[in-house]
Amino acid sequence: MTTLRQRLVPYGLLGPGLLWLFLFFVLPMVFMAWFSVSSGSLESGWSLTWTFSNYTDAISNYTTQFGRSFLYAGAATIFCLLLGYPLAYAIAFKAGRWQNLMLFAVIAPFFTTYLIRTIAWKTILEDSSPVVSFLKTIQVIPSDGRVLATSAAVIAGLTYNFLPFMVLPLYASLERLDLRLLEASKDLYASATQTFLRVTLPLTAPGIVAGVLLTFIPAVGDYINATFLGGVNQSMIGNVIQAQYLVINDYPTAAALSFTLMVIILVAVSLYIRFAGTEALMGDEEEAK
Amino acid sequence: MGVWQRIRDNSTLFVGILVLVYMLAPIAVIAIFSFNDPTGKFNFEWVGFTTEYWANAFDNQEINDSLWLSVRLAFFTSLGATILGTLIALALVRYEFGGRKAANLLIVIPIATPEVVIGAALLSLFVYASASLGFTTLLVAHIMFSISFAVIVVRSRLIGFDRRLEEAAADLGAPPLTTFFKVTLPLLLPGIAGALMLTFALSIDDFVISNFNAGSEVTFPLYIFGANQRGIPVQVNVIATMLFVIAVVAILFVILQQRRAEKLVEKRADDDNKASLSIPV
Amino acid sequence: MTEPTWKRPAKLFAVATAGLVAALTIAACGSTGGTDNSDVPTAQGGKASGTLNISNWPLYIDGKTISDFEKQTGITVKYNEDVNSNTDFFGKVQPLLSNGDSGGRSILVVTDWMSEKMYNLGFLQNLNPDELTTVFDNIIPSLEDPAFDPGRGYSIPWQSGMTGLVVRTDLAPDIKSVNDLFDPKYKGKVTMLDELRDSAALVMKGDGVDPTEATTEEWLAAVDKVKQAKESGQIRRFTGNDYVQDLAKGDVVAAIGWSGDAIQAQADNPNIEYIQPEQGCILWSDNMSIPVGAPNAPAAYEFMNYVYEPENQAQIVEYVNYISPVAGVKEILTKKDPALANNELIFPSDQFLSKCTNQTSPPGDEAEQKEVENAWLSVVEG
Repeated sequence: MTTLRQRLVPYGLLGPGLLWLFLFFVLPMVFMAWFSVSSGSLESGWSLTWTFSNYTDAISNYTTQFGRSFLYAGAATIFCLLLGYPLAYAIAFKAGRWQNLMLFAVIAPFFTTYLIRTIAWKTILEDSSPVVSFLKTIQVIPSDGRVLATSAAVIAGLTYNFLPFMVLPLYASLERLDLRLLEASKDLYASATQTFLRVTLPLTAPGIVAGVLLTFIPAVGDYINATFLGGVNQSMIGNVIQAQYLVINDYPTAAALSFTLMVIILVAVSLYIRFAGTEALMGDEEEAK
Repeated sequence: MGVWQRIRDNSTLFVGILVLVYMLAPIAVIAIFSFNDPTGKFNFEWVGFTTEYWANAFDNQEINDSLWLSVRLAFFTSLGATILGTLIALALVRYEFGGRKAANLLIVIPIATPEVVIGAALLSLFVYASASLGFTTLLVAHIMFSISFAVIVVRSRLIGFDRRLEEAAADLGAPPLTTFFKVTLPLLLPGIAGALMLTFALSIDDFVISNFNAGSEVTFPLYIFGANQRGIPVQVNVIATMLFVIAVVAILFVILQQRRAEKLVEKRADDDNKASLSIPV
Repeated sequence: MTEPTWKRPAKLFAVATAGLVAALTIAACGSTGGTDNSDVPTAQGGKASGTLNISNWPLYIDGKTISDFEKQTGITVKYNEDVNSNTDFFGKVQPLLSNGDSGGRSILVVTDWMSEKMYNLGFLQNLNPDELTTVFDNIIPSLEDPAFDPGRGYSIPWQSGMTGLVVRTDLAPDIKSVNDLFDPKYKGKVTMLDELRDSAALVMKGDGVDPTEATTEEWLAAVDKVKQAKESGQIRRFTGNDYVQDLAKGDVVAAIGWSGDAIQAQADNPNIEYIQPEQGCILWSDNMSIPVGAPNAPAAYEFMNYVYEPENQAQIVEYVNYISPVAGVKEILTKKDPALANNELIFPSDQFLSKCTNQTSPPGDEAEQKEVENAWLSVVEG
């Protein structure tokens, strides 16, 4: 029989944190919503005018950037998956004593700041660098081409910066894999490929879901990679939002763009989860009981 | 075993290592250029080797100020976020209560929101409330986006928790709070430590949200962004490499401790076995 | 009995939306922002002491002036090079200044049009000429009475400069006019400043239009010309202060840039030179102002007077290589460093400046200006 006090304990525990999130996440969203249907300017102030045209104008003016952001983020996510899965697999099963070290090597780059890492790529990819010269020699790029200030550079940057977000969930998922299932599959005469496709992959689906989400979502809104590695035709929607807020100070348009971005992401994510399964996200508490 | 088989067996490991090299490449570049001696203001062409900047790593007051600000900010952020996050994780995993779905949603959505939107929304709030931007607003913002991560880390540790240890403590007559402080919390420590480290790293690394909400305060990433325009001083490379090395050393230390602990457990088990073998049955 | 799975998120969504609408309706009662320009305070003078916090552009002061000033006056100076672009800086300080909070600054330095914009928003204090006797004694006549701030009521020039072409003469020896930037031979190797009033105005001059008298349509036409160049890949990037890097690397052979940068850049690559465009340059000044809420206006006045002493100014000019607003500097430098004194970029002759026009904003009211600014933004950020 639970007393009233006992029933209140969870709320007491949740209280401070959730309050913080409410005040500084939910409330700001409300104000952003307020701005998104307001009009005015820095000089004359803003007032709520229920101008829904902010949304339609914003979307029609910046459709290219929206599309580009999803394209770049999608491409980067796919590359992250292709690069991250082998790495996670190697760490989980082939690393032996070096497991912790390798894991750490994945997270370590975080400790030099995001900006410096991206700027370092600028050095690696500049027109006169050995890497680019090599690529030109093997004809991957035309001899008068360049890598920086192109879409490829931005996608490469996004892939690099978000790889850890893909590797870690994949690793967590692979680690929990019961090796006996793989052995059983081999015992039943399945080839390595078949084992992988039919056993490993499906069982690690929650990890893949989590990794994809953790990579795709921040990548869509990123603007650092586009700023440093991109050129004039690589602006992503993050660049536009940032400029609208901090340069033009057109808060209504900026807010409308932000909300639109969020909604699109939420829709894409819900569809993806519906399609791929939800255990990865919220249901694990059941295990603990 | 044929060579082909050997290659195939180790191909995953090989690819894995290649990817790791790819991940560490920029770090190598940063480290290498911390030894460069550039002629002009820009540090992207190798001129000559010098340890001058390592010797004078903290000569640039602006860098020092921004670094100190970032460290302070990260410290308080990790404390705040981990405390709030641990409490939430405990509630989520250990208790039944109504509104679970809503709570989960509230925690997960910030992770699903692009940083640019969070930063901009917070700015909207602060502008509307005519709040003065500075350290406080930065701290508030950083704790906010860190809570969710702390929750996830601590929660995963809690889930794998062996409740029997707590039950044993209760059986031995310990009141719930004592059990919590003497059994639960120590066992939870790796999770809490992980949350602390993760939130610290996220905070020190943050650019976007800080850019919107720092006012005239300059964090280390904000300094780098500004300095990029006119030439990043070599000291920045030095400090970035230092941060990396400190992190490496810290983790190696932890790993070594773990290995020692494991060996100790093995040894004790061996001793116990030997002891038990000699007890006449 | 279990609910169909779509009902729970749907319920949640409904609750959330209801809450949102309620909150918005409550918020609707208020509006926010707006500035009142009727009550601009005048910065108070007095005994100068304490700490002085200055925000300026990077590489705009030599290494000794600050410490010399500190020694002479006993004031501690915190000198921040955090102005990297007018718009970025504005974005950073605007939320503070609209609340009357200067973020600790007592002096900030921004370009003419931004000084004007900030003043109109009520962010700057009026200056008391009685506190600035040295300044008004030594300011060069051409900068005494600009159109945007007659009699220098709130802005005191820090340095002046020219916007023109900064070129790698070894890689692109034949660039003489802004129209050469559109030459397909240099496709992808050209950059422009992201500043509307520099780049679009210069482009306009290339077509024979005077920016100070141009109509909104002529501004939009210039913006459009740039847009086409961007879309065709002619322009590699739009830059802030960071175009020099690309030039030094050789990734870019010609850029729209500033005169002082070219001189400083020669340390990175001696082939970087400032080329005065055939159709003339854009002349601008960066001005010191005292923002509202400045904690130490007396010290600010002291600093302004200090840098307007010709000997002190000469020390700055030697390093900064921009055009000095203080009379008498050329004479001092002729003795110390004749090469510098004869450098046309630092002490330009009237002939050198003959075709240059002052930097100016697009004409018209707020709406018309916004139209040009938004058009430009979509080119630069799109």
